[in-house]
Amino acid sequence: MEKLRLLIADDDEDNRLVLRATCRNLECFEIKDAVDGLEAVEIAESWHPHIILMDIMMPRMDGFEASKIIKERYPQTVIIAVTGVLDSRVEDKMSLVGVDIYINKPIDRELIRFKLQSIASSFRLKLGGFKDRNKKIILNPFNSDIPSYKTIFDIVDAEAMMEFGMWLFDRYNGKVTAVSSKFDKVIELFYKLMSKGGKMTIIVEESYEEFYITMKFEEAIVLEQKILGMLSEFGTEVIVQENILCARLSKPIEREIAAQDLLQQMQIKRTSAENIKIQHTNESVKEVKVIESKERVKEVKVIEPKESIKEVRVIESKERELLHQSFIRKTSAADYVDEIGDILDEILELSSIDEEWREGLNLIEKDPSEKNFIDFVDSVLNIYVRVINNLFEFTALAYALTSLGVFIKDSAKILSKDSSKTKTMIMLFEHLGEDLTSWREHIFVLQDTADIHYLDSSFFSSCMQIEGIISNKEVSADDEDCMEFF
Amino acid sequence: MAKKVIIVDDSRAVIATAELALEGMINSKTIEFKSYLNPMELLEALQNGSENFDLLISDVNMPQLNGLDLARAIKADERYKNKPIIILTTESSNEMKMSGKEIGVTGWMVKPFSDDKLVKSLQMVLGV
Repeated sequence: MEKLRLLIADDDEDNRLVLRATCRNLECFEIKDAVDGLEAVEIAESWHPHIILMDIMMPRMDGFEASKIIKERYPQTVIIAVTGVLDSRVEDKMSLVGVDIYINKPIDRELIRFKLQSIASSFRLKLGGFKDRNKKIILNPFNSDIPSYKTIFDIVDAEAMMEFGMWLFDRYNGKVTAVSSKFDKVIELFYKLMSKGGKMTIIVEESYEEFYITMKFEEAIVLEQKILGMLSEFGTEVIVQENILCARLSKPIEREIAAQDLLQQMQIKRTSAENIKIQHTNESVKEVKVIESKERVKEVKVIEPKESIKEVRVIESKERELLHQSFIRKTSAADYVDEIGDILDEILELSSIDEEWREGLNLIEKDPSEKNFIDFVDSVLNIYVRVINNLFEFTALAYALTSLGVFIKDSAKILSKDSSKTKTMIMLFEHLGEDLTSWREHIFVLQDTADIHYLDSSFFSSCMQIEGIISNKEVSADDEDCMEFF
Repeated sequence: MAKKVIIVDDSRAVIATAELALEGMINSKTIEFKSYLNPMELLEALQNGSENFDLLISDVNMPQLNGLDLARAIKADERYKNKPIIILTTESSNEMKMSGKEIGVTGWMVKPFSDDKLVKSLQMVLGV
């Protein structure tokens, strides 16, 4: 797997060694050293580190100056200042030049490891980011109708290519330990094609059993003999059409399911299939079939109600990642609060927002105008988002609130005309508001939870369900394993 | 008689969405629905005998007590040993399943859940 690049800039050799040793067992990093600020800038230009551990007092160019230059050119780089001197003047100066976080000397190795791991996980999430989910793009030529999640990447430079590679690797390999040689070959092929340069868009579609990876180039592709040779190995699994190349990859088998489990699962699926038939007597059941393959069982149902098919709010792959993310290390609220510094004040200041939250909802109740829905999002919901965005480790919470806000704004018009939906929405939002209040209390005030992540993905899934309820869409986890009984 | 379904989850929103999903079963008196925000309270009430259930649906990550630990404590009690417990989680890792199986929970469901799936699993587990 491609690693995150970590640069250690310190003029003291001992310090560099300690930092290196600290980071060595964090396997997700590739590490380089710089002996002063100037060298840090040079390495930043040629090597584009994701994270820099930056000493402040250094000869030739100090950490302030180096951070300033690097942040101006590469604002994505996370700079962690490691400093022995820390007063408010130094703090101000650091934030002015764009230092993201600072850590006191003497070096607390545990703390540094913790910070690095948090940043690394947030990078991983960002790297999977798609650009434009509504973009109309020609889909894979194998099958244009995959009941799937689509992730779209615009590849503009080498950096983006690498990020895509990392994303795909994680996505494909997340559940199994062994990489198939075929996957290796596909990745190699992609890199070869990518490195030929030029911009392209990559669309990854996933069905239950396969990945379809479509690369769309700006111009028609001219393939060299060597690449043609590689392509021939894949036979019918690769299709090339003018400016499109599409590969189909089987997903690795996640685990062996014992025959008995399989039978039991079949039973459940069958029962539910029958229930569907009974439940929808007023609707015409077009097709209910149970597809059985060697490894998996899944149910495909197409139910046609009299008027329209119930839509599904598909969970996108980025959302799935957020939902299923697990934090290997438990972080207690007390430890976490120790880390966040000034942000704590911002969080505590949020106490007035509970009142605003209720008032906003009251206003909607009295006058469900489009404007009141939008105002609620802009002046209450998004205030939360702004503060939570500053916190490490709550990516899912921030994302959940953001997308819920977008959804409410989009649905404001419909909601304003539907009093029963508005009533449900208000009821659910009251509960969400209370959840957030108790979340703040447990983590930042009482500091009494053993793991700060307790609400994160749960809250996210609630937000999705609320979207589903309001928009009349069934939320589909689309997981082949979304429920199981032993 | 209505079967008593208890849901324990620290999120009021999750409880509210579950209640909405089960509205039909609640209105038809097929089930009686009760919720707890704090697993410790539920555990205490079960232990002193002031509470009982036919099916328990439990979240995993809760600030006071992990849902799997809650299930373990309940299953250790003779009175509730054979009562069904469903774990509600966003995470579907194998470790989670294995530890659930070891403790003796009936099954698990991944959040977000569709109304349909929740209703169906209840019907199946309770035989209603």
